[in-house]
Amino acid sequence: MQIPTLETQRLTLRENRLSDFEPLVEFYADPIRSAGFGGVLNRNDAWRWLASSIGHWQLRGYGFWTVEEKATGLFAGMVGLWSPEGWREPELGWILAANAEGRGIAYEAALAARTYTYDVMGWDTLTSNIIPGTTRSIALAERLGAKLDGSYHNDHMGGEILVYRHPSPAELDNDGNVEAYT
Amino acid sequence: MIIGIPTLETDRLILRAPSLDDFEAEAGFFASPRSAGVGGTQTRDQVWRYLAFHIGHWAFRGYGMFAIVEKSSGIYCGRSGPYFPEGWPEPEIGWTVMQAAEGRGIAFEAATRTRQYAYDTLGWDTAISLIAASNQRSQTLAKRLDATLESSYVHPQFGDMQVWRHPAAGVLQ
Repeated sequence: MQIPTLETQRLTLRENRLSDFEPLVEFYADPIRSAGFGGVLNRNDAWRWLASSIGHWQLRGYGFWTVEEKATGLFAGMVGLWSPEGWREPELGWILAANAEGRGIAYEAALAARTYTYDVMGWDTLTSNIIPGTTRSIALAERLGAKLDGSYHNDHMGGEILVYRHPSPAELDNDGNVEAYT
Repeated sequence: MIIGIPTLETDRLILRAPSLDDFEAEAGFFASPRSAGVGGTQTRDQVWRYLAFHIGHWAFRGYGMFAIVEKSSGIYCGRSGPYFPEGWPEPEIGWTVMQAAEGRGIAFEAATRTRQYAYDTLGWDTAISLIAASNQRSQTLAKRLDATLESSYVHPQFGDMQVWRHPAAGVLQ
């Protein structure tokens, strides 16, 4: 299978490459940034995680894209669909590099991934799994129009995890945004 | 296929890309004490990621572990192949054997073929195998492959490891 490339105004969502490894090591070395994504990983394990992200595409037909900022070419994070063993249903996940913080990049990337999932893959629902207390991620989920829809025990993440359910395709406008209230 | 993983063949075996078909056998292996020689037990969700990791390894390195399948029975026998994840001292020829394949020379047959692949197709000049100091069956296989014990070191995750050096590419017929 081919991993599709998506484009937004500021971002390219592309396949994972070995050149993503060093920025990912940095992300995983940061206890605060990685807390919502399973916690700190050393270099060896970060390499294995990145390889498993590629393998996820092969095993499921979808997975995480690397988010690259067009203007700088810098690794901005990762966003995509994740459904490894032990997940209750596929989710839209994201991580953000420190250099990409505070500029709406995660929102722009997640919106592009969700639009692709609905419009091209034809899915009719989507969740995001969020570790309780990951306030920035919850804020992004809410900005995307997702609402808390229960929780479940996720062994891999070591406990109870919140499920945010995204608006269905029918509830979104043509740009993938939540319809503005009038 | 994200990248083309070749299929190899020996008298008794097919060596092919790792796939989800291998998951239950691998989950059984990593739930059993047999996994002690390769880092210890893993849960099902960890094993799934491990399988995905092996596929991604192919994408990053252009080579990786092959799944070993016995032609006559279709049974999944384990993995063998050229392998070089982050943190390894140098590229190795690796192998892991499921219980169903034990005692019939299957690992020898697979590793002989994947070593040949590393030398002839990938162009490696030399190869090691990294083996846990406690893993005597694997050390026996290394000897049968004419590898010799070269050094030992402590891997931060896998503990006491031995480096076995295979005969160089030019030495093997």
